[in-house]
Amino acid sequence: MHEVHCAGEDRATALAFALAMADRGDGEAVFLLRARERQRNASVISGDALALLGVDPRLLTIVETGGAVDMLRAGLDAARCPGVATIVIESEGRFADYDLTASRRLVLAAEASRTGIVILRCDAEPRSSGAHTRWSVASAPSVPMEADAPGPPSLDAHLLRLRGGAAGGRWRLIWDGQDGRFRDAARPEAVPGAVVSFPPLRKGAAGAGE
Amino acid sequence: MDGLEMQPGQRRCLALWFPFLPCERAQREQANEAGDAPPFALVARVGNALRLASLDRVASQIGLVAGMTLADARARCPDLVTRPADPQADEEELHRLLERMRRFTPMVSIDPPDGLILDISGCAHLFGGETGLIAQAKARAGYGCRHGLSSTAMAARALARHGGKGEDVAPLPVAALDLDEGALAALRRAGLRTIGDLARRPRSMIAARFGERTVLRLRQILGEAASPIAPARAVDPIRCEARFPEPIARTDDVMEVIEGLLQEAARRMEARHEGGRRFHILLLRSDGARQELGIETGHPVRDPASVMRLLRERIDTLADPLDPGFGFDAVRLAVPWTEALVERQRSWDGGAEEARQEEVAALIDRLGVRLGPERVLRLVPCDRHLPERAQRMVPAAQALPSAWPEAQADLPRPLLFFDPPQGVDVIAGVPDGPPLRFRWRGRLHEVKLAEGPERIAAEWWRRREGHQPGGAGRARDYYRIEDSDGRRYWMFRYGLYGDEAQIDWYLHGLFP
Repeated sequence: MHEVHCAGEDRATALAFALAMADRGDGEAVFLLRARERQRNASVISGDALALLGVDPRLLTIVETGGAVDMLRAGLDAARCPGVATIVIESEGRFADYDLTASRRLVLAAEASRTGIVILRCDAEPRSSGAHTRWSVASAPSVPMEADAPGPPSLDAHLLRLRGGAAGGRWRLIWDGQDGRFRDAARPEAVPGAVVSFPPLRKGAAGAGE
Repeated sequence: MDGLEMQPGQRRCLALWFPFLPCERAQREQANEAGDAPPFALVARVGNALRLASLDRVASQIGLVAGMTLADARARCPDLVTRPADPQADEEELHRLLERMRRFTPMVSIDPPDGLILDISGCAHLFGGETGLIAQAKARAGYGCRHGLSSTAMAARALARHGGKGEDVAPLPVAALDLDEGALAALRRAGLRTIGDLARRPRSMIAARFGERTVLRLRQILGEAASPIAPARAVDPIRCEARFPEPIARTDDVMEVIEGLLQEAARRMEARHEGGRRFHILLLRSDGARQELGIETGHPVRDPASVMRLLRERIDTLADPLDPGFGFDAVRLAVPWTEALVERQRSWDGGAEEARQEEVAALIDRLGVRLGPERVLRLVPCDRHLPERAQRMVPAAQALPSAWPEAQADLPRPLLFFDPPQGVDVIAGVPDGPPLRFRWRGRLHEVKLAEGPERIAAEWWRRREGHQPGGAGRARDYYRIEDSDGRRYWMFRYGLYGDEAQIDWYLHGLFP
């Protein structure tokens, strides 16, 4: 289980980071849990953009819940379901119901079923939880294309916490449309494995349970 | 003749003909206001021309006939109201009528294209004789209808469609034989105009000149040959019931009983290779109160355990839990909506893939029961021009897997759309160029990089006056911009520069 912190205006970036970080099996379901927003700043996920990020929109199920408790309960149900590869829980503000107990429950459920859980926390203070890693993600200036056009998505990822490891690393990640994944800007050559080679970010025998 | 005086072994068939069924159905959908309605017809494209497929009573009285081209009909009757024909809906309506007629007799069959045949032998006395039965059946059908009553189905049909009064088939025109146009023309050329004329001729001669089929139809109408009907068999609904000698009051016991009922229903559905999509449970309390539980699933289900899980979810979401009061007398289970569910063979890998998909479907059902089906959604592509309309959110339980169109990497769309777009104040450098800086949610953003415009026109073909100048709606010029913090936005400006005095800018989405 991972937590991704971001500012409210970086929501799209953090969501892209979460979806890219998640280990998506072949044709396994992705669940996105959101609170039903107020009418003023309601936002809708775009399927075309998902397809460009390498997520098949047909595999995405969006669950809109009324409150935080419902959202955590639905997340727990989804985490116990063996056919789900990734669960992204989108939250904004304090998210008071998400405490140590709730996060431990999610971690245990995810460990049992090998599901990846990413919790997006917009405009929130980091709080102690059972998560394996905690990231802070912000949009970064992109490498301009010709005629001063914005380039591919790029972001600054800051590792705030890593369970059983050294935290504090910072990476500038740039989306690589050829490979369909984020790539470390400091090391432009191909990196095998996930975003950055982190054993805890891999699933399987090497890093059982997230 | 009354049903009580019927000879034993003699059949009585009632044919109902609904000549205006398609038009009446279409007008019913429109909720027409009363008064003298204009003539109405349904049109269908035949070859390259629009032709009248069916008419209502008014249109047929002023001399229009089915099969004439729409242009001719309009020339004769300028105020003709038309709608496209929908044969499928007509057929469904006829099946609904058939179900309504089941209360009069178990032997009902469809008489295509627009009639029913009821075998009412031995049924009429229950409805006050044959006249009473016919009146009730017509009232129950609710459509304009003619009837024919005779001892064979074929004769009843001929009387309903071509007959006058009484049960004498001799004066019927030869068209009642229901032969093709060539054979009818041949009969008329031979001077045989009515069934009676034909019946007086030797059968062998008719067979030699007009074919064996004519003889067969004639004998059926005259009642010499049998004309059996194939009644549509009613599918008996899946219902089970448990009655208790003593009322039971513990919820756990009730759940056990429901599980037993579900197992019985599962056995019956298995015999039919079906699975239930809707389960309905009625709990009858000893003081006469009724409590209902209903669940729906996204896929046909037979397994009692998974239905029980959904039921427990439903009970958890109830505002007031099951109140046994003085105990339940009986529990009834009905499965009103079933679909085909065939046991599939497991694939090589032991069915791990299918098992996973079934688990996800069950999870979606569970969340749908708890939160409401409109809150568990999937994205479905739509072939629309405007970016915010190019996809829809549909309940995941109803979503059909449809291929997503190839996303265009050179025209990227933002990951999050704002709905509705948020207005921003913009300072633009050149009038028809990208903004220099903009104010959004009270903060000023400097624009560093910009790409555009991508012009997306309004959907003028969906507007009433869209083809006229100025009626098309305003086009949008989209810019992909990046501010000094490195955040990327999708903004658009309404309208072409120079058309409007007021230029509005909106922020429509966030790029990663």
